Amino acid sequence: MSDLRVENLQLNFGAVQALDGISFDVAEGEFFCLLGPSASGKTSTLRAISGLESLTAGSVHFAGGDVTEAPVQGRGMSMIFQTFALYPHLSVEANLAHPLRRDGVASSEVKKRVGEVAELLRVTHTLKRKPGTLSGGEQQRVAIGRAIVRRPKLLLLDEPLTNLDAKLRHDMRAEFKRLHRELGMTMLYATPDQLEALTMGERVGVIRDGKVVAIGPPRDLYQAPSDTYVAQMVGSPPINFLQTKASSDNQVTLPFLDQPLIAPGAKSGQPVTLGLRPHDIALASSGGAPLRFNAKIHLTEPLGDVTVIDVAAQEAQMKMVLREEVAAKYSVGDAIEIAFDPTDIHIFDQASGARLGAGAQS
Amino acid sequence: MARKYREIGKAGWGYTAITSVVGFIYFFPVFWIILTAFKTRTDALAVPPKLFFTPTLENFQSVFFRASITTGTSQATDMGLYFFNSIFIAFTSVGLALIVGTLAAYAFSRYPLKGNDTYLFIILTTRMMPPIVVIIPIFLMFRLSGLAGSYWGIILLYTAFNIPFSVWLVKSFFDELNPEIEDAARMDGATERRVFFNFCIPQILAGLSATFVFGLILTWNEFLFALLLTGVETRTVPVAMARTLGGEVGVDYGLLAAIVTLFLIPIFFVTFLLQNQLLRGVTFGTVKK
Repeated sequence: MSDLRVENLQLNFGAVQALDGISFDVAEGEFFCLLGPSASGKTSTLRAISGLESLTAGSVHFAGGDVTEAPVQGRGMSMIFQTFALYPHLSVEANLAHPLRRDGVASSEVKKRVGEVAELLRVTHTLKRKPGTLSGGEQQRVAIGRAIVRRPKLLLLDEPLTNLDAKLRHDMRAEFKRLHRELGMTMLYATPDQLEALTMGERVGVIRDGKVVAIGPPRDLYQAPSDTYVAQMVGSPPINFLQTKASSDNQVTLPFLDQPLIAPGAKSGQPVTLGLRPHDIALASSGGAPLRFNAKIHLTEPLGDVTVIDVAAQEAQMKMVLREEVAAKYSVGDAIEIAFDPTDIHIFDQASGARLGAGAQS
Repeated sequence: MARKYREIGKAGWGYTAITSVVGFIYFFPVFWIILTAFKTRTDALAVPPKLFFTPTLENFQSVFFRASITTGTSQATDMGLYFFNSIFIAFTSVGLALIVGTLAAYAFSRYPLKGNDTYLFIILTTRMMPPIVVIIPIFLMFRLSGLAGSYWGIILLYTAFNIPFSVWLVKSFFDELNPEIEDAARMDGATERRVFFNFCIPQILAGLSATFVFGLILTWNEFLFALLLTGVETRTVPVAMARTLGGEVGVDYGLLAAIVTLFLIPIFFVTFLLQNQLLRGVTFGTVKK
């Protein structure tokens, strides 16, 4: 049974259409991520679900009832904001206690629950302090605490890691997963970062210009993206695109390959986009991948454990990823023989961007 | 994080010297007036001016009690009433303007109307006119409506004159707030009234204090309207002060200085009480959050 169901959410700010028919379901206890670039409508979706924005059209169903017109205060949801939005004039303790006091919980119970939440989030030592004196990570944990202290049925998270530094982001990703496991509440998490969406989300909805363009488990989105936009949003470094034309039905040729590729669904002469993930390109010498070709190294970006290498095969530019110790043998300007498996090729229609299928060897 | 003020040693002698000169230019007249308040009539008018003298409280005494010219007996002056009037009128009207202004500012900031900026501009234009331009119609209106000479008349006028200032200043404080904090309060179950009183107001207390003090200083010093629109019972100190000038015995500088000194105290006191808030209020939005 789905806990949250949103249907055809429409939201206009004057002439600007922020949401253009958002629909999806979230199951009870699920960790659902909304992935999309900034201004794509993630925050508006969360605000519409919470009731902070009133919809132009569409409906929100939650916990078995239609809450489209319900006031914000009574929806039984909590939200974690991008800016944390802690009450600057109140102590951490008062911040954590506020939702409970509003719910009319007895003060002995408030004290107990605040203590428990502070313990769970390791902020007990900050209870008497004002939020302004806390570090970014502590503020974030207090914000989480304030959101979960009333044990909401649904937790909305609006880019909660955007304002933290890289190290903290890493720690907090694990923290969110832990909390989700321990508390078992439904979570709806908006992020522009594909890494966050893929690592935490049980399912991910990809948003573009106020529309959900794909929904699925991270693995499906990565392995069989429904169009070029989804392919681009998921995976890092981003997928390589090669523009070409089908040489005949179900077949494409690439100038740097000596044999054609089987491209199911492509009509003769149809412009297609081939997608190939950087991680699916390997050194020819490592064996395994049957399609080999020669390329030249343009740029190397060492990331510590791995190195991202920009190569060019004739006119085609692409990125590949090598382990650092392997990459160290190469430098800019070197020729390199690389290979890929044709089944790793994603074939898209160039005009619509829609997926046609996966490649195969002829 | 607020930047720490540099110590004198770190500021360097150049800055310290310039600041001292500027400070001296501003504060010397005040210092001299306070000094004069403690001088006898002869000392006050002495040439060259006396820096060292035997202080006397005679002037302060004669602010409130003065020997009658005709009978020679000591009589209470009305100065006590005028001080009460100044305090009552200024605090009430600035307080009222702050309440109305804060409510209006919140509405303008959080629930903008179509043509919001136009309304704000119209409110501001009422402060663009020099008071002298509107004094005649206002004087006639007050005469006709019987408001002239009453407390409520002058309070109403000062309130009206302080509202635009309050709206604009307080709106800028509301605009600076993070609206997500209000949304968070709503999601926690706070009603709109609570959001305003328990979450917005406490965050701008410094700004409200600054607005109050600035309004208070303007109103406290106001002379023109007070001169024309207050009566014998509702006269404020600036008007009463002007009336001590001239007369058959010439200008009593010692008396005048004593009134000025007393007149400084309430403003000094309020500013001193709110100094921490004021400093934050005037720097609101200029410091990185």
